[in-house]
Amino acid sequence: MRRVRWGLVKQQMAVQLLVRTLNFSSLSLFILQPAVFSAVGMLLSRAAGNAVPDLVYSVIGGGIMGMWSGIVFTSTYDITSDRRNGTLELITGSPTSLASIEAIRTFTNVLCGFFALLVAFAAAMGIFGYSLEGANLVGAGISLLLLLFAMWCSGVFLANFLAWSRISGTFVEYLEMPMAILCGFMFPMRVLPGWLQTVASVFPIRWALEAMNESLLGMRDLSYLGKHWLIAGGLCLLLMLVTNWLQNKVQDKIRVNGELSSI
Amino acid sequence: MIKALVRRIRLYIAQAWLSYHGRFSITHPFGYITSKLGFPFFLMIFFIFMGKFVGFSDPLYIVIGNLLLIPANNGMAGITLAIGDERGWGTLSYVLGSPAPRAPVFIGRAIFYIVDGFFTALLGFVIAAGIFHMDLSGVGLWLLVLCTFLLAVTASGIGFLFGSISLISRDGWTVLTTFIQALYILVGVNFPVDALPGVLQKVAYGLPLTRGVMAARLVLDGAGWSAIRSLVVGETLIGALYSAAGYVIFRIIEKRSTISGTLDAL
Repeated sequence: MRRVRWGLVKQQMAVQLLVRTLNFSSLSLFILQPAVFSAVGMLLSRAAGNAVPDLVYSVIGGGIMGMWSGIVFTSTYDITSDRRNGTLELITGSPTSLASIEAIRTFTNVLCGFFALLVAFAAAMGIFGYSLEGANLVGAGISLLLLLFAMWCSGVFLANFLAWSRISGTFVEYLEMPMAILCGFMFPMRVLPGWLQTVASVFPIRWALEAMNESLLGMRDLSYLGKHWLIAGGLCLLLMLVTNWLQNKVQDKIRVNGELSSI
Repeated sequence: MIKALVRRIRLYIAQAWLSYHGRFSITHPFGYITSKLGFPFFLMIFFIFMGKFVGFSDPLYIVIGNLLLIPANNGMAGITLAIGDERGWGTLSYVLGSPAPRAPVFIGRAIFYIVDGFFTALLGFVIAAGIFHMDLSGVGLWLLVLCTFLLAVTASGIGFLFGSISLISRDGWTVLTTFIQALYILVGVNFPVDALPGVLQKVAYGLPLTRGVMAARLVLDGAGWSAIRSLVVGETLIGALYSAAGYVIFRIIEKRSTISGTLDAL
């Protein structure tokens, strides 16, 4: 049984990498777009008269941006293209649940997004001389794991959201930038007005990312970091519950209609 | 003579109408508005917060720059999609095989995107004036309209170029979107071109939009025609150059494909 599951994971990851992720379009999202955003951040900083840009937000934040863009578009494109190609019904009707397949696909997307983050780290350290000296590495590591988990939960949620509602695609495509604003991908949360910070507090990515950025900047206050980790973890679990609810709604709809094409 | 002229104008208008139907007639108003203003609006807000964080004291600079890029994006993306989609859906052979002359067919399709981008930018200015309290009282509105329209037209030159690329490459659209992202750095949208390193400044001046954006900014600062004339002329020339290059490349690809017996090159 366990071997069969590993086989599924391996197979789905291979398909995802070959068909969806390893192409010019996705690599552009993961690598080129973050580079552009980082360049804008650094040049804005230069135009503002700063001698040195803030590397955590300008460069590493660009990597987070690439990670998120890649996950939004690949995860939503998965469902959209399955629907367009007529394979969504076949996947939903197969003995393996749609949720399992989407979970593995999104995991692959998150790993590719993590590659974007690694590139951003490498660029920050290799090109701009960013040093991890003084950073809270343990805190940053835990926060990074939570961030990846939050990204995965969000990706799975978006994929299931699209399976649940065709019209949701209209909204999902515009999620890229609002999330980047609300979660403070390339600037600290304190830059946002108070009411936007309140709105942002429902997203797990925001809490995990803030904890990671603060850890990289040397924050060691365990109560501050612990609070962020707990909130991020709790919101992730909540997102998973909503995702599960959406998936059941899809299955119910098919059972009631008796038509796979209703999704 | 007049009959032939009318026939040709009809062809331009028919193609513009087809272009609209192909892209937006199946979209509901919400989808249309969000596709026009949604992404640029949020991207602009994102850049404003980035600027606020690094201490860039002039958010209106970012607002205006991003608004001016709307008609440009429309011109570039719309035309690239208009050509690329024909290939994608396998209908390019029918278009190229028809007796209709090429120029009206493709320029006609561009007209819709130029007009659409132009009005979207004007709408953006009205919304931004309300939200960001832009003072337009001392602005030469006709000059601003001219600059906005010019940006839409010159950007369509790049659209033709990338549309031609999409005939020989399946990644034409991705190449264009990457190029559009580069414009956020190069053409003075978020910060002055002077803030760029020397080499990039030279690249910026070799692109359409740079001078157009500069001219529009001067107009918004209250400058008159004499102050922007050289920039407008430069922008027009560069735009014409890119349009000509796009058209020539398109004809070369078309000719090559007829020789090889494949109407859509790949």
